[in-house]
Amino acid sequence: MSDASDALPRIPRIVLFRVFLRSLLLQASWNPKGMQNLGLAYALYPALEVLYPERTALQAAVQRHLAFFNTHPYSAAAILGGVLYHERRIAAGQEPPSQAVAFKAALMGPLAALGDGFFWLSLKPAAGALSAALVPWLGLWAVLLFLVLYNAVHFSLRGWLFRLGLEQGDGLVVSLSRVRLPQRGALLRNLAAACAGGLVVIAAQRVVQVTGQRGSALLALACVALAVLTYMRMAWRPARYVALYLAAGLAVLSAALIR
Amino acid sequence: MGGWYQLGIVGLYGGLLALERRAILQAMFSRPLVASTGMGVLLGDPTTGLWIGVLLELFHLGGASLGASLPEHETLSATSTTAAAVLMAPGESASPALWSLSILLCGGSGSFGRWLERRLDADTARRAEQANTRAEHGALGKAMRENLWALWAPFWVFGGATVLFGGLGLLLRPVVTDLSGALMQGLTWAFPAMLTVAAACGVRGSRSREAGRWGTLGGLAALLWVVGWWLGGEGA
Repeated sequence: MSDASDALPRIPRIVLFRVFLRSLLLQASWNPKGMQNLGLAYALYPALEVLYPERTALQAAVQRHLAFFNTHPYSAAAILGGVLYHERRIAAGQEPPSQAVAFKAALMGPLAALGDGFFWLSLKPAAGALSAALVPWLGLWAVLLFLVLYNAVHFSLRGWLFRLGLEQGDGLVVSLSRVRLPQRGALLRNLAAACAGGLVVIAAQRVVQVTGQRGSALLALACVALAVLTYMRMAWRPARYVALYLAAGLAVLSAALIR
Repeated sequence: MGGWYQLGIVGLYGGLLALERRAILQAMFSRPLVASTGMGVLLGDPTTGLWIGVLLELFHLGGASLGASLPEHETLSATSTTAAAVLMAPGESASPALWSLSILLCGGSGSFGRWLERRLDADTARRAEQANTRAEHGALGKAMRENLWALWAPFWVFGGATVLFGGLGLLLRPVVTDLSGALMQGLTWAFPAMLTVAAACGVRGSRSREAGRWGTLGGLAALLWVVGWWLGGEGA
């Protein structure tokens, strides 16, 4: 540790833990104007109270974090850590207050893209499709599997990102790029597609099994054809609902005809 | 089973999950697979919850809140559909026919949920504005607490909406017992038929650049398993 960092005010571990816990409420007051601004200020508040014992300095610090803020709620942990990295230096007079604001502004866009791409568009569909595909074998345990699979990655990455920001400040970008989240995300998306594709066939087999009568294979084939058509026409927004109701209509009609 | 008192549980659970979905934690307890199963467990019919959850999970697989865009409210869709199915059942547990019926009646509540969410943004905007004013006047603690007060509106609104759809199931209970056998049989068949379509939505929802290829690969692997299962004598 250099002399400069030794001179920085310390934030107790319990306060850092409180900041992390409060970051779980980042979107509690999400609004179209400031987006996560109030949530961010709320999360940082216990640490700002430690860093700025003087009321006017605390007020200024809170107000600079009430400005517009929006990023992915998980990767926001890195920004929270990084903001505290800068706030410690600002409180010690080593940096101007604009440094923390510039840090947020520079990172919220890229981290939003990274978080959206990995967590929302890759991990979530992969864990969901895999667990759904395993329901015929695991039953209710598949639900637990979904929560464990997703949250093991979610919470470990969220905690790691917070620590990364706290220890490295702007340097977190280099460490983050080494994790290769976009590449891992692409693999997860392929896994999700394969699991869902498998479920098309399993569900069609269930059609045959449930109906158990002559002509049931025809109904199953019609469902698969409808599924393929739905896949191809998903760009048309109502397609999913139209296909869902068509499938139900087809089944009801088949039941009436076969009877 | 089922009764008006259960609507209280339905509302509480629906409200809490709506908060988990966007405002607190976001640990996926509000995803259809978990939310539906949880509702089923609470109402004493986990199997109904699980299977409705599987279908809606796949149906909403690609939904994501990106930037300021809002996807359909899959949580309202899942909790209300499951509540309606269980409360509609005249017996111990809901049949697959009732799963289908409740999906057809309440599955679209996700769009209604999105509409509600947009209306609620006005309340949070007002609270954020109030927090700014309070911070300017030095009332920092009060300003920060606005973040927590903002949780009440979505809790009540989505809790109420879940009760509304769950209540629909309760109201329909006397009617479903009078439905014809052919219609009930058709609705029983409709569940796996709709699951097939939902799975196809899931392939697209995976957002994979090669979704078609990987979906086909998964389909072929499942087909091999089905053929093996069939040749193994189960089909007989």
